[in-house]
Amino acid sequence: MKKTLPLFLVLILGVAGTLTYLFPHPAIVNSDTFFRNEFLRVLAGFALVLGLGSLLKVHADKIRRKRANWQYSWILIVTFVITSFIGLFGGIEGTGPLPTRIGNFPFDIWTIYWNVTVPLGATMFALLAFFMASAAYRAFRARSTEATILLAAAFVVMIGVLPLGNSISPHLPSFAQWIMDVPNVAGQRGILFGVALGGVATALKIILGIERAWLGGGKE
Amino acid sequence: MNLSPDPWIWIASLLSLAIFSFLYRDNSFYRLAEHIFVGAANGWAVTFYWHRVLWPYLFDPLSRGQLYYIIPLVIGMLYFTRFIPKVSWLVRFPIGIYMGYYVGVSIPANIQAYIIKQVQGTILTPRNFQMWGAGSTGIIWSVVLFVGVICTLSYFYFSREHKGALGVTSRIGIVFVMMGFGAAFGYTVMARVSLLIGRLQFLLGPWLGIIE
Amino acid sequence: MNILDLLTKIDRRIIYLVLLVVVILPLLFPKAQSTRVMLPVEKLFNAVENIPEEKALIIDFDYAPQTQPELEPMGFALLRHVFKRRIKLLVLSLYIQPLGLAQNALTRIVEEFNSVAETNADSIIYGRDYVFLGWVPPPIIPILGMGESITNVYEVDYYGNRTDTLLLMRDIKNYNDVELLVSLSGADPPKYWVAYAQNKFGLKVGAGITAVSASEYYTFLQTGQFSGLLVGMKGAAEYEELVEQRLDIKVKRKASEALLSITYAHLVMIAFIIIGNVGYFMRRRQK
Repeated sequence: MKKTLPLFLVLILGVAGTLTYLFPHPAIVNSDTFFRNEFLRVLAGFALVLGLGSLLKVHADKIRRKRANWQYSWILIVTFVITSFIGLFGGIEGTGPLPTRIGNFPFDIWTIYWNVTVPLGATMFALLAFFMASAAYRAFRARSTEATILLAAAFVVMIGVLPLGNSISPHLPSFAQWIMDVPNVAGQRGILFGVALGGVATALKIILGIERAWLGGGKE
Repeated sequence: MNLSPDPWIWIASLLSLAIFSFLYRDNSFYRLAEHIFVGAANGWAVTFYWHRVLWPYLFDPLSRGQLYYIIPLVIGMLYFTRFIPKVSWLVRFPIGIYMGYYVGVSIPANIQAYIIKQVQGTILTPRNFQMWGAGSTGIIWSVVLFVGVICTLSYFYFSREHKGALGVTSRIGIVFVMMGFGAAFGYTVMARVSLLIGRLQFLLGPWLGIIE
Repeated sequence: MNILDLLTKIDRRIIYLVLLVVVILPLLFPKAQSTRVMLPVEKLFNAVENIPEEKALIIDFDYAPQTQPELEPMGFALLRHVFKRRIKLLVLSLYIQPLGLAQNALTRIVEEFNSVAETNADSIIYGRDYVFLGWVPPPIIPILGMGESITNVYEVDYYGNRTDTLLLMRDIKNYNDVELLVSLSGADPPKYWVAYAQNKFGLKVGAGITAVSASEYYTFLQTGQFSGLLVGMKGAAEYEELVEQRLDIKVKRKASEALLSITYAHLVMIAFIIIGNVGYFMRRRQK
């Protein structure tokens, strides 16, 4: 029952999801629309609970057991609580019951978004340029014919797509574009077929209850 | 140089520099900034999920008497059982509902978009010859593409040893895959550098006032 | 330290410093680089240009701060194109993080146009010329739901207005009234639009993507599933070029100004890879 009922639900809903493509009868389409708009939308609103709950649990655990760098977990939890409080009670446009300004200093959710979330997120990804340069220098070796082809294609694309490539020769950007259009598409398409077929197979296995990893472990 | 008088720009810039400090080595400023980011980003998400989803599409209709919303409310609340060991099996219901519908919808979509359409783009037809915008040379590129796709698929066929004809086609296939990966690497470099440029434009512009 | 060590053991912080210097220098003296426009970008520009008067364009702003530098210039150029041609516009986001960036882009470009408008007819008016639908999770709901009714999916817009009261939405009911959707994203949304919306409802889809995804997305361009494709900062620069040349809109071109930094960074990257390889082969020969 604890496994059978969820598996049965997956079977019913999996078939229902596919049905709307095969039988676009108004009754099926309307039921599908109702289910999506009234039910699934609300369910998605609660889905944040899983990720957020796990995050807070991990850090609370770290604090309780005084693991390495546990002090930073306090920073995370406190920042989360403060930001949530400001957002929930201050409102998205700063029109909630909580005041979100002291004199000329605003601290509404948008200000936090633009001046904390955006710069931090962007800078974390900006680090990747440096790591890429260092990794390419250390590891990118023309050890074999295949690696040399990879390197050559990379160099052609790196120069060809930029104005410098056009200055060297007008054929270089065209050649770079050809690499993207023909050999790249051929290679990627072969990979895409494999991924797509694998995805469909996995989806079928989940619907038919063959794939049960999502149920989680445990005896129940 | 025209330093910004806005304290929030200073906060944003110092947080950015704290993240950049990781390039020298791992340090407490980086860790601090990293944890602030995770906390703030999740707080932001909670705000929007409440104000834009849960309140307008669940609690507000419920408060106005549309009681059938109790069903999604109850099912949604089952997500919390994940953290109560005795009843954690109940979380399978909301996960199963969401996932079951999604995988059902994805099957025809995947087959049509990622398999059938891709096969249509590979086979040798006059439409495909014209897709290149290269006149009569288009036929050659279509043939090269067709051969490339077949050879790439033969490379990923591991049920037989790559010998004889299969050995030849898989060797050709790997050449196509390598050219694709090389192109991917070239573009990835551009992507990463672009992200760095974006950050530097912020630091040099709104913060230091060196550029417009 | 002999030459071999010099070639193979360059400290990573020196690499970082060299990269930082070559990227910063052109930014201090920004100059928009003219760039050759390639076919995928031209296709998207023409697809937007040829949208009939009675039909709408949907732009899916799905870039987060992490992908903002590459995709925001595309968004700005696209909005300028749309507003110049007075194409009916709907804007949405499939995820939560891009919302603020989408609103920022709309506010900036609308202000840019309205600052030079002389009459109400010239101005870009919310509700009449464009609607910001906002965000409804999960992505499958708007992607499939808008095929039947847009106002059923987005009962209220981002600002809390009932969508069925907005002037624009009286004529734009579902995908039948939409000519093209352009998805600006650093991840999978363009594929979702193709797999679900295009598959079921025949919606035309164009995409602006980060350069990381380029390799994968070209397969969709070749089949015609994408009506056009903008790739990374280069793609943004090409679209900016077209907007300036063909629509006579002369503004600061952020992506075009960054091309010189990208060029130097690429040259430095290639140089380091060559140095590493020279050292590797010299060491191999020694053994």
